[in-house]
Amino acid sequence: MFGEVTLSLLKGFGITCEIFALTLLFALPLGLIISFGSMSKFKPLKWLCKVFVWCIRGTPLMLQMIVVYYGPGLVGQWAQGIEDPGVFITWFASWTVFDRFVAVLIAFVINYSCYFSEIYRGGIESIPVGQREAGQVLGMKKSQLFFKVTLLQVIKRILPPMSNEIITLVKDTSLARIIAVYEIIYAGERFIKAEGLIWPLFYTGAFYLIFCGILTLLFGYFEKKLDYFRG
Amino acid sequence: MKRILALIMAVLMMSAIFVGCGSTSATPDQAESDVDYITDKGTLVVGITDYAPMNFKDDKGEWTGFDTEFAQKVGEKLGVKVEFIEINWDNKFLELDSKSIDCIWNGMTITEEAKLNASVTEPYVENAQVVVMTAKNAEKYKDAESMKDLKFAAEAGSAGESTISDNKWADYTPVKAQSDALLEVASGSVDACVIDLTMANAMTGEGTSYEDLTKALELNKEQYGIACRKDSDLTNKINQIMNDLKGDGTLEALAQKYSLTLAE
Repeated sequence: MFGEVTLSLLKGFGITCEIFALTLLFALPLGLIISFGSMSKFKPLKWLCKVFVWCIRGTPLMLQMIVVYYGPGLVGQWAQGIEDPGVFITWFASWTVFDRFVAVLIAFVINYSCYFSEIYRGGIESIPVGQREAGQVLGMKKSQLFFKVTLLQVIKRILPPMSNEIITLVKDTSLARIIAVYEIIYAGERFIKAEGLIWPLFYTGAFYLIFCGILTLLFGYFEKKLDYFRG
Repeated sequence: MKRILALIMAVLMMSAIFVGCGSTSATPDQAESDVDYITDKGTLVVGITDYAPMNFKDDKGEWTGFDTEFAQKVGEKLGVKVEFIEINWDNKFLELDSKSIDCIWNGMTITEEAKLNASVTEPYVENAQVVVMTAKNAEKYKDAESMKDLKFAAEAGSAGESTISDNKWADYTPVKAQSDALLEVASGSVDACVIDLTMANAMTGEGTSYEDLTKALELNKEQYGIACRKDSDLTNKINQIMNDLKGDGTLEALAQKYSLTLAE
């Protein structure tokens, strides 16, 4: 029984890890881009980014997932009921739901890139202006300044808040079951329903603990590696 | 540098809005009927949850159960494949409206809520809400009146929840699933729960995980129906096929196999 449960939970945990890894892969760069947008001198872009970040951080991830998954299908259904459709309505009418996993990914990437963008912004703005001015005096280009002077220090500074957010992400993946994506909690709950077994649900906690433990060690290691900036 | 990034950013944001929206290029036909839509794509997508004996997985991991076999028989008559998708029961009508499923077919109690949100077929199976508690307590509490000071649990949004409010049982905890309600009783955090008769038959008593629990009271007889999209012509189609399957004894055989009672 234990082996069977473990196998089933591992299968669910595979999906959990997939959501986790793919979200990081897309959200880390997207977050950086959004942070540039919200620091932009071009006012409309700056405000667009600020409002976007406000909307995403200001609403629950669970709701965002429901909107991303059911939204397009509902719009399609609504548009199909409209008589005498224009170009846009016809296009709306062709909307259908995403694949469940894709919908989860879209919601997670957007949500986390907004949180990441604020962490990046904090990191970038914490680098003293003097350093940039010194670089300019030395004749460095803007891109050189960013990658050679700012970015490496930023990475070191944002590592602790980033690791916080990333560990939260591990556990947030459990929200995916709202739109019936088979992740580990879902796998655990299934045993209650199908076989009346309660312990598999609690057993899922072990998987999260081990995974977060590994991440914590990994971040500790990175922080040590980046220590050379000190002094 | 910043300007280029700003541009990339703007493009990404725009594409994020547009992505995936053009997933089907077929122009929709206003007059298209739901049955045509389903036969055209060749699959009837049925929204279910893991709910014995209606839909559950056998030893090989294949879906089986009364509703599973029933739906497959209807699929045969429609000439389409039947695909079972596990959904989150809380979102069942959203699933239906967004066309991620074509019908809800999972021992759904015909309620006012279901009729408001979907087009429901004729009833096919009868059920009741039962109060489940420990065998020891069941000897003390025999009727609804004597139970009014007990602590209750039921699945949020379920027929069991309505039963509790109808009886004005005040101390009530909503939980996520009927199985969770049983868990609450077993763990002693509540005194009793209200769940479906079929569920109670399958999950309580000797030889189950909840041997100490028993049915104390049967209330609110109810009937199961299949939910299709509002104004869908699929409802009538299923009704027709259901009548045929009743006529030739197929449904009766299925009901006996899964110890259910067919609706009149």
